[in-house]
Amino acid sequence: MSKATNLTEVFSAVLKQGLLLVAIIAVVGGGLGLIFAGVNGLISGLIGAGLALLFSSLTALSVRFGGKLSLGGFFGVVLGGWIVKLVGFVVLIAVLKGAVFIAGPVLFFTLVASILGTLVIDSLIVLKSRITVGTD
Amino acid sequence: MDVTNIAAISGNIAVIGYGLAAVGPGIGVGLVVSKTIESIARQPELAAKLQVTMWLGIAFTEALALIGLATPFIFA
Repeated sequence: MSKATNLTEVFSAVLKQGLLLVAIIAVVGGGLGLIFAGVNGLISGLIGAGLALLFSSLTALSVRFGGKLSLGGFFGVVLGGWIVKLVGFVVLIAVLKGAVFIAGPVLFFTLVASILGTLVIDSLIVLKSRITVGTD
Repeated sequence: MDVTNIAAISGNIAVIGYGLAAVGPGIGVGLVVSKTIESIARQPELAAKLQVTMWLGIAFTEALALIGLATPFIFA
């Protein structure tokens, strides 16, 4: 894990390593789901990991691209993206909750594991980064 | 003794759960962003560092929101 020295490198590392981790969790979660809940468990594991990757990556992307804007634009993109993302998440959860192919506990625990895993990755990358003063 | 209902409410208690899952992270993100704005106003040259730190704060806060909003899958 090399040390990132600017915003672009930080978020590139976050996205790459987050994708890798979530792929591993998707395989493990989907496999366990297949064992305990059949094909519905497999689908739920993959959907849970995918949702976590999508929604954690969107925050990183909003900061990554918002960072190129003025201060007002930056906070507009980050906070606007945040509220749109949460509304989208509520809608997706409402749709998936009634779907017949969903095994609820498998989806939930895969989602939680992926979210916590990406938080660990994010923290490690930020702790190791050495962003120089005055860079963008 | 007869029991008399003088008031009743109807609806889904999960809505209260949604409210709690939204209000906590909403306050948290508001605090993180407001302090970042203050800090950037004081020291604009640190903007890049502060933006990364702010993103980490938002990521942790929104994790609570995402987990809270997904609880219908296990509590329903």
